[in-house]
Amino acid sequence: MQKIDTFSANSLKVLDKSFEEFKNRYIYNLSIYKKDERTLLGQKFHGLICFYIRGFDVSRLLSDLSLNELVFWQKLEKKLKLIRANFLKTEYSFLIKDELNNVPFYLTGRFDGIYKDENGYIIYDWKTLNLPKNPAYDLQSIVYLYASSKIYKTDKIKMRYLSIEKLETLDVDFVSCEKYKEKIDKILLKLPWFNFSSNNDLEFQELNF
Amino acid sequence: MLINANSNTNRTKLLQNRYLELLNSGIEAEKILVLVQNSKKKKEFINEIKEKSNKGFVGSLKIYSFWGFIREYILENWVVVENNLKDKNAKIIPYLSGLEISQYIFKKSIDEVDFTGYNSKTSLLHQLFRRNSLINLNNLSQEEVEKRDNILQQTYSNEANQAINKYKAKTIDLRAFDYIRQINIFEFLYKRIENKFEYVFVDDADEITPCVLSYFEYIKSSVKEFFIAYDEFGSSRLGYLGAINVDFEKFLNCKALKPFEDDVKTKNALRIFNSIKEDKKINVENIKTKTFLKRNEMLDSVIEDVKCLINNGTKPSDIAIITPLADEFLKRELEKTGYNFNFISKSEKLNQNKIIGYLLELLKIIIDTSNKFVSPYILKGILIEILNIEKKEALSLIQEYKTSYEFQGLNLFDLIKNKDSEKLKKFTEIYEKVRFDKLSNILFEIVSNFVFLKKEISKDIIKINQLLKQIVDFEDVFKSGFSRLDLIIQLENTIISENPLSDDEIDENSIIVSSAQKIIDYSYKTKYQFLLDVSSENWIRQDIGPLYNSWVMQKKWNKEAFELEDNIELTKDKNARILYKLYLLTDEISLYSSVYDYLGAENFSGIDKYFEYKNDSIKDKKLENKPIIPRDDQKEVLNYNGGLMSVSATAGSGKTTIMLLLVDKILSGEILKDIEPKNIFVLTFMESAARNFKEKIKNKYPNLKELPNISTIHGLALRILKENNNFSRVGLDYDFEILDEVKRINILNEILYQFIGSTDKVDLYDGAISAYKNELALYGNFNCKNKLFLSIYEAYDERLKSENLIDYDDLLLLSLKLLKENKDILDYYNDLAKIIIEDEAQDSSNIQQNLILLLGKKYKNIIRCGDINQAITSTFSNSDVEGFKEFMKKSKNVVMDRCQRCATGVLDCANKTVCYAKKEKIEAFSDLIMKPVEGKNIVDKKAVDSFIFKKENEENNCILKQVKKILSEAEKSKKPVSIGILLRSNFAIDKWSKIFENAGIKTYKNSDSLINNQCYKTSLLILEYIVNPYDIKLLKEIAKELYDFGFYDFDTLKYANSLTEPVFLKNDFDEQFWWDMNYFLFKNHYSIYDLVCDIGEFYFSKTFEKDNIHMVATIATKIRNSQKNFEDTILKLREIQFKNSFSNIKFFKNEEKDLKKSTISIMTLHKSKGDEFDYVFIPELTKDNLCLNTEDCKLKEKSTFIQKVKKNPKSDFELKKEIVEENFRLIYVGITRAIRKLCLSVSDNYKFFSKDKKYENSEIFEGVLCKK
Repeated sequence: MQKIDTFSANSLKVLDKSFEEFKNRYIYNLSIYKKDERTLLGQKFHGLICFYIRGFDVSRLLSDLSLNELVFWQKLEKKLKLIRANFLKTEYSFLIKDELNNVPFYLTGRFDGIYKDENGYIIYDWKTLNLPKNPAYDLQSIVYLYASSKIYKTDKIKMRYLSIEKLETLDVDFVSCEKYKEKIDKILLKLPWFNFSSNNDLEFQELNF
Repeated sequence: MLINANSNTNRTKLLQNRYLELLNSGIEAEKILVLVQNSKKKKEFINEIKEKSNKGFVGSLKIYSFWGFIREYILENWVVVENNLKDKNAKIIPYLSGLEISQYIFKKSIDEVDFTGYNSKTSLLHQLFRRNSLINLNNLSQEEVEKRDNILQQTYSNEANQAINKYKAKTIDLRAFDYIRQINIFEFLYKRIENKFEYVFVDDADEITPCVLSYFEYIKSSVKEFFIAYDEFGSSRLGYLGAINVDFEKFLNCKALKPFEDDVKTKNALRIFNSIKEDKKINVENIKTKTFLKRNEMLDSVIEDVKCLINNGTKPSDIAIITPLADEFLKRELEKTGYNFNFISKSEKLNQNKIIGYLLELLKIIIDTSNKFVSPYILKGILIEILNIEKKEALSLIQEYKTSYEFQGLNLFDLIKNKDSEKLKKFTEIYEKVRFDKLSNILFEIVSNFVFLKKEISKDIIKINQLLKQIVDFEDVFKSGFSRLDLIIQLENTIISENPLSDDEIDENSIIVSSAQKIIDYSYKTKYQFLLDVSSENWIRQDIGPLYNSWVMQKKWNKEAFELEDNIELTKDKNARILYKLYLLTDEISLYSSVYDYLGAENFSGIDKYFEYKNDSIKDKKLENKPIIPRDDQKEVLNYNGGLMSVSATAGSGKTTIMLLLVDKILSGEILKDIEPKNIFVLTFMESAARNFKEKIKNKYPNLKELPNISTIHGLALRILKENNNFSRVGLDYDFEILDEVKRINILNEILYQFIGSTDKVDLYDGAISAYKNELALYGNFNCKNKLFLSIYEAYDERLKSENLIDYDDLLLLSLKLLKENKDILDYYNDLAKIIIEDEAQDSSNIQQNLILLLGKKYKNIIRCGDINQAITSTFSNSDVEGFKEFMKKSKNVVMDRCQRCATGVLDCANKTVCYAKKEKIEAFSDLIMKPVEGKNIVDKKAVDSFIFKKENEENNCILKQVKKILSEAEKSKKPVSIGILLRSNFAIDKWSKIFENAGIKTYKNSDSLINNQCYKTSLLILEYIVNPYDIKLLKEIAKELYDFGFYDFDTLKYANSLTEPVFLKNDFDEQFWWDMNYFLFKNHYSIYDLVCDIGEFYFSKTFEKDNIHMVATIATKIRNSQKNFEDTILKLREIQFKNSFSNIKFFKNEEKDLKKSTISIMTLHKSKGDEFDYVFIPELTKDNLCLNTEDCKLKEKSTFIQKVKKNPKSDFELKKEIVEENFRLIYVGITRAIRKLCLSVSDNYKFFSKDKKYENSEIFEGVLCKK
């Protein structure tokens, strides 16, 4: 089993919360599969928005929506219609290389949409679940803003959460790469292979068997 | 850029470097498509890029396995498909589902098409699946499919196409596409969407399929540059996996770079490739070969070699074990070593995993609303393994359940809910909460609450997640179209094939066990490769069936016909590519072969033929060098110099020895030039004789690279049917099975019940069907007057066809048909069979004789050995002694009339029997009179005793007394003896066994019945205990039997006999028996295979016994698959105990006779043929048992019934004549088994249903023994 060197916002969240949980879920793969209705709804809307922004006719796809969902969509479409021309990319995956204590690590993820206007870039994220309570401290904001600043080499970036059901938005402004890196590093240091001063030798050996 | 180099070189690194150069030059990663062969290679490619790339944004990488690419492409552009569809079932995201979903859809499509008359309906799904896969992988147009259907003359191609079209339509309706179906969607899409890739990298391009190539051709003009790495000798996936040989130089219009062509390894690999292609033996230094008789011996050697390497410091991950037969037995044997193994299986059933098995059973119980009885064995497993209930508590609950269900019909959950146990309370809560919910939710709740997530069961968690994912898929795709129970049944029967998207991970510290193709696909490099079972046809099995042919369905196929030669050449080409690629991945290859496969059948047609054999394993074994000096009458046989020869060899004339010498002479090349072992065919009547002969040859020539073909004629027929996929020419699918005795009777019982409401006459119909088939073969269709029989026959025939079964008669008839109707197949065997030797030729049927003569048609070197005087099967089989007599007339006839076995008195008795028959004008014998061999036979004119008793008891006691006397004298003189009690029926065997058993004398019942095998009996007894743990009487019986087998001492027997309560309720820690019985009781294997192996391996350790354990476990598994629960399986195992075999599995016998002990064998007269004993007793010679005159002969109903289905039925008189003749020969066979003494006896009265009944004595007493 290899040391994990590639992280998503989600896996960092789990690691931030508990090393044990991270180990079970990402190293030993001990989580139990569960597909709930919310996830399904999220997937459907992600697909629909993506096709719509890319300019496809999505009218036929709407028959896959329930009446309630259709109402959400109709409202959302009105909003998207105004801005869709400014989207550079949708469903854009990224790979960022970095290092901590001379050990390389990688950040991965997928932006739902990248919007650009004269004010800079907005990284869109469509949410079917609740919007984050402290978006500025949410690891998704941190990782995405950090990654997008590396991609576009600018600090004119925002992260925008858009609630599909309520059409509310929540913006997070870019702070600084150093701050983000600091936060990410702090979490990664929970892993023995990034932290040479820790007394986690035993744990390390176990992970390295 | 085009690189022509093999995968062992740094060619992938060259591609990766070019990729990085592009990235560093500012090209966006999204514009570069990288396609590699699979997810493992994708991960490796990405890791290399990650490692070598600069800090910062690496890119939005587009590196995929081909299947992964298609999947992404479809998801990304699905709206285009949807906008071209007209129905109302639109989906925003399609279901890119697994094969289990499409299997189900296919099944429904087949139901809608009329396949009436199609042979092998059981495999129709597989056939259509393969056909559909090959059409798609090869990107065949409708026209191309039709052309191939014409070449292959597939009768059901229209129906097949209809079913495939229906399947396609349904997948569209449901928007559910497996990876093969995704090819169609992908093709539709890429032709409508602008290509966005400017650069395309392809590794392992020699393994790409035509559908990939079509994509490249389509986007070629819009791509700035291709970077392709391929190996012109690669393409190991040609044919069956759809790979295509592409001329990449032509495709890219540039010359390929060959940067590594001087590499030594590459040159050696090419030598292997070329040797196979040119029919030369491979002779490369670092390839070792080892050959064994039994598979178990082979496995033992492999394990020893693995241990040796690891002890000498080799890392486990440097070893790969490669076999097409990574079965349960191999897994168990390897796992016993304690090393870590990584089994890379291609396909498996989900419930092969124990936890999954129990979870599915638990789901069934939870959703059941009809209060079905739950199998106690399964319930025990669920309670202990899933719900973690304490063992004794579980058993007590089960016992309570059994009683309350039986008497009150009490529901399991009503019982559980009243229990105090915390775990049961929790379970009841969950049950109440979710019992009406979706299956996925029920399973999730159970797993979340009861399966403790820990890293030790991480592999089980993966399987549980697979199961959950599958359930969710079914629930998604079919919505409410599925009952929950149907879904479970569907999941239980679904075979999980390799998922092209799965990510196989290998533990760093484990030995890989895999198929050759997987090793190649994933480029697993190891220092050592152990290639197992290389003599098995499974290494080279062609992928051909009645509805598809992976060779002809190749895109590039351009011939107008498909002939045997094509099949052979293409198979050779495929093997050359596979072995070439395997060699490149290792430093050293060791090949292991065995004469017999894992179920005791002969191996043939493996890849061993390509290698030079140097047998290291047994080269030190001493050769049997004792010279045999043939007698004058034997010399004639050895003077054979080709042509037709018949050998009339009397009993005890040393026939086997002389045949061995003859084979020896043939092998030395003294008789025929240019002869190899493969050109010699030795055909025996009995399987045991073939095995015996093989072992003798193997012992005599341990270094022989291959053995001559030694088999029964049925074995040969099976080979003809199987080899080179010949079965497809007679409409069979590859997994056809031979109907065994048990299943045949079951089928006949069902049919008879349907037609006449009774199964009493099953025996009659059994014989009649066989006779009728042979008549049909001889005379073609004729007007059989027995119309009821005809209807039953047709039903039987239809049933066999629909289940892809053939019976023993079909086996011979179909192989004969193949040879007669296919010149290419006949030529193949005619070229091979330079000499044929047949043993027991007097017992061959007309069909068998035709087969032999046809086989030897080209070289006409046929030797048939037999003894007309020992033809003892003609009245109950289709044997045809007249055919042998005819052959004798046409051939040079050699007579071996010297018998050196029997004492002179015994010889006289045998000869007198011949003379008596002649005097009575019964044409039972030839004129052959046996003569003694000077100085060899015991001279004893009084060697024969005969007795006529008044009462049965007197006869029993007299024989018992004599046997005791013989044994006591043998013990005194310390010269062990053999005693044979030869009887007329199997029924009598049981009677005489009991007589000796009651007298405390151990006997050996020479019967092939299953229960006579120690492994079978031991396993059955323990299994019975497991389902009846409260049965103390059974426990005592087990102790007694196992004591008799020598597994426990007398104290154990005493302990068992003292038991008054179930053993698991006690705490007798000092008692081995207590430990053992508890061990088995709580083993809780979901699979009966594992359970039987555990039992077997616990008690048996010899190599041949280990093979037998595997066979018993296989029998149990096969029965389990046809029974509704574990308990019924055990009952069935008991029910078939007296059958000779099941599923044609043949146990190995202990051939090593214990020469230190005297033995008493009890067997039928028929069975005794070929055996010999110091003392022979033939009791119960009443006229009923041995009638020697036609007038008194009584016909059995079976004999007359069979005549009614024949074209030219025999009269009653003719039948009686035949029976009397055969009775003469039968007693002659019995007499000639005796070396020293013979005792023939009869009593005037025998018990018949507990009453004395008077019987007449056989004429043998008056006519031969001069006794009244």
